[in-house]
Amino acid sequence: MIDSADRAITMDLPSNYVVRRYKNWLISGLLILATLIAITPLFMVLGYVVANGIGSISMSFFTELPKPMGEVGGGVANAIVGTLTLIFISSIIGIPIGILSAIYLSEYDRHSLLANAVRFTTDVLMGIPSIIVGIVVYASLVLAIGHFSAIAGGVALAIIMVPTVIRATEEMLNLVPYSLREAAYALGFPKWRMVLQIVLPAAAKGVITGVMLGVARVAGETAPLLFTAFGNNYWSKSINEPIAALPMQIYLYATSPSKESHSQAWAAALILIILVITLNLIARLALRDKNT
Amino acid sequence: MLAKLVKRNKILIGALALLAVITIIAVSGCSGTGTKTESKTENATTAGKSVSLNGAGSTFDQPLFTKMFDEYSKDNPNVQVNYQGVGSGAGIKQLSDETVDFGATDAPMKSEQKAAAKGGEVLHIPITLGAVAISYNIPNVPKEIKIAPDVLVDIYLGKIKSWNDPRIAADNPGVKFPDLAINTAHRSDGSGTTAIVTDYFSNVSSEWAKSIGKGTTVNWPGGVGGKGNPGVAAAIQQTPGTIGYVELAYAAQNNITYAQLKNKEGKWVSPSLEGASEAAAKSDIPDDMQVSVVNAPGEKTYPISAFSWVILYKDQKDKDKGEALVKLVKWMVHDGQNYSEGLDYAKLPQNMVDRIDKMLDTIKY
Repeated sequence: MIDSADRAITMDLPSNYVVRRYKNWLISGLLILATLIAITPLFMVLGYVVANGIGSISMSFFTELPKPMGEVGGGVANAIVGTLTLIFISSIIGIPIGILSAIYLSEYDRHSLLANAVRFTTDVLMGIPSIIVGIVVYASLVLAIGHFSAIAGGVALAIIMVPTVIRATEEMLNLVPYSLREAAYALGFPKWRMVLQIVLPAAAKGVITGVMLGVARVAGETAPLLFTAFGNNYWSKSINEPIAALPMQIYLYATSPSKESHSQAWAAALILIILVITLNLIARLALRDKNT
Repeated sequence: MLAKLVKRNKILIGALALLAVITIIAVSGCSGTGTKTESKTENATTAGKSVSLNGAGSTFDQPLFTKMFDEYSKDNPNVQVNYQGVGSGAGIKQLSDETVDFGATDAPMKSEQKAAAKGGEVLHIPITLGAVAISYNIPNVPKEIKIAPDVLVDIYLGKIKSWNDPRIAADNPGVKFPDLAINTAHRSDGSGTTAIVTDYFSNVSSEWAKSIGKGTTVNWPGGVGGKGNPGVAAAIQQTPGTIGYVELAYAAQNNITYAQLKNKEGKWVSPSLEGASEAAAKSDIPDDMQVSVVNAPGEKTYPISAFSWVILYKDQKDKDKGEALVKLVKWMVHDGQNYSEGLDYAKLPQNMVDRIDKMLDTIKY
């Protein structure tokens, strides 16, 4: 029945309609295929980590300290808390600096020499291998204090986070239409109020995405932590002591000779991925609330 | 205005608050654990101030050390030892910069490294021995073929190119070797294992000593590189005809085929923990303990064996830490040795322990 209806339509249409319709299908199919190929690696990574890691996850994996290498059991509780602490410290330092710099670049000094210099440095900083940031913090902070600490680790991660936050935030602020700013001025807003109440809320969605990108980026970093946070087999009693982190724990387990350690590495990797996904979901939830 | 902002982002603020709460709970959890430790301390016979020691260095030592320190803190709950395997070279650097309380290394510090140490004279305390197994993959050839030192060096120098070379067959009567090209595998990363193997090669061959030398990385005449023991093991397994070297602990735990080597006394020996301990027992150990024991005398000695040392300053600046550290290292060379063999590490020979004790007694704190 549909066929006959189709035929009825085609009879009235130009003769190349059928060809165009098949072309449309073909291209749509190719687009869908490309999308599938693009997301396949993501699901393969997720699937592989889940398949290998789920077996070693138990309640004790979240509550206990690591056992000596190669022994069954034990957990990564200190590394989970360590990663959260490091994210917290680096966020406290990195997010305000990042967002305030972006406001300066976008609202106060868009075209000056200083602004362009800052933009250029930010781009360069974004491309610097993270281990170099670790070495710089080691040479400047760790050696000055005289020992490794969670603070040093947090500072290293903040340095990596700042450029991502600055660039993402600035792009988003630039997207806010100029007419909105003019309208605010017309109503007699001072500049600071215009920025705080008009521009920032309008760009909030993108800004938060940028911040989450920065946080997710540093959550998985190992290299800058090796000589700053150093790692710890136990609980750190203060942020002035060496602290454990999930990526370092994964690296340690994955490079050890024993098979027990390898399965613990998979489990720790799974927890790290869940942690990053959770942070992303929180950000998305926050956005959904704003849009409705 | 602020209220509006708060309203707009209430979920985000809620999430941040949640993160803060989690962190606070976690931190109070830590201090809770800390309190528990302290109350235990009062009951323990070794009551003392709570001390945390940090150490860094050799990755080879890490499995043994985490086990030792875990056991040690059971009897001495006031002492917490945090050891990170960052590599021997990095461990020496950290000790020099005084960012850690002790280091661990598979090769003694060089004179320029000693000169750079900020805290003065550094003592080398042998803690364990490692052995390196020569592994191979030749189809249809039995396990534990025999490889003489000069043959091994010439294989790595590229002079012996095929497994059916008469010099290999001469040591293995009855074994039929295929006409298969020899491919050599080595570590691509800087490694204490490479240092031991090249030290051995330099010891048995003056040509190797002159043209290649020894070190954690050397200019290999050929062959393929692999990262870490797993990388070398994979290179061996993937290509028939490949020969390579891996740590004994790795070979033992992963059922890797290895060769017998001829020691200084002319005896054929398989890599073993006893063979490594014997290398230390039969060697002439100087007072500073900084000695290579490759190709050591002794009938049971396995020739590719080497010490791993804990390094620490002779003048300890912090009295509590210094005291705890010396007690810890003493325990490592005495009771701690009981955990070695279960983890595929060689025990220190008995005749060295007293000398190490005397050395530790010279430390000032």
